Amino acid sequence: MEIEREIIVPEAPDEVWEALTEPERLEEWFATEVELDAREGGEGVFRWGDGDERRAVVRELEEHERLVLDWDEGGSVAIELRPAEAGTLVRVVESSPQFSLALELRAVAWTAAAAA
Amino acid sequence: MDGGRGGVDRVFAALGDAGRRSLVEAVAARGTATATELAAELPVTRQAVAKQLSALADAGLLQATRAGRETRYEVTPAPLDDAVDWMISVGAAWDERLAALRRSLAKKT
Repeated sequence: MEIEREIIVPEAPDEVWEALTEPERLEEWFATEVELDAREGGEGVFRWGDGDERRAVVRELEEHERLVLDWDEGGSVAIELRPAEAGTLVRVVESSPQFSLALELRAVAWTAAAAA
Repeated sequence: MDGGRGGVDRVFAALGDAGRRSLVEAVAARGTATATELAAELPVTRQAVAKQLSALADAGLLQATRAGRETRYEVTPAPLDDAVDWMISVGAAWDERLAALRRSLAKKT
C-alpha cells in the first residue's frame, strides 16, 4: 500500500526543488531539524519537535524532477516534480512494505476473530 | 505529527520477519494454537515456534493464555488497527507538510 498526495504550487520546478533539497528550506515545512546531503547515496537526518527522529539515504536524485529517500526503518518516500500549466505539480508517494502486510493480516485476524 | 509510532514500530518489526508473519497467519487460521500444534504443521522446531510466538505476544499481536503446561495463543487484531490508523496519520502528516511547503514557497516569492 502506498500513500499518495499531489498538489500544484505556482512556483517553477527549480524553486520547488530548493525547498526539497536544502536543509534550511526543508526545516520550513518537512521537519523541525534537517540534515541532508542531497546527492545519491547521501544521508539525511530529520527530527521533529515531538522527539521523533528518522534517518534516510538518498536512493535517487534527478535534479528538479525526482527525489527518493529510503528510510532506515524501512519504506521510502518519493517526491516528483512536473511542470504544470500554472506552476509545478508536486507528487508524494510514501510506501512501506509493512503497510500492505498490516492490512492483509488485519483482514485475516478479523476474520479469525469473527469466527471464534 | 510523526509521534506515537512506538507501538506501531513494534508491530511492524514483529511482522517484518516472514516466519513470524506465517505464524500469525497459522494462528489466525486455527483460531487458537499452541507451539506444539504449530510445530507439527511447520518445518521448524517447537522451541523456535515458542520463541517467535512469545515475540509476537510481546508486540501485542497475539494474546497468550496458559493452558496447563502449554501456552495457547490467539490473534488480537487491535494492534493491526493501530497500524492502519498510523497509515492514515501518515497521510494526514503529508497534507500538513504540503500545506506548509506551499506557504514556505509563497514566502520566498
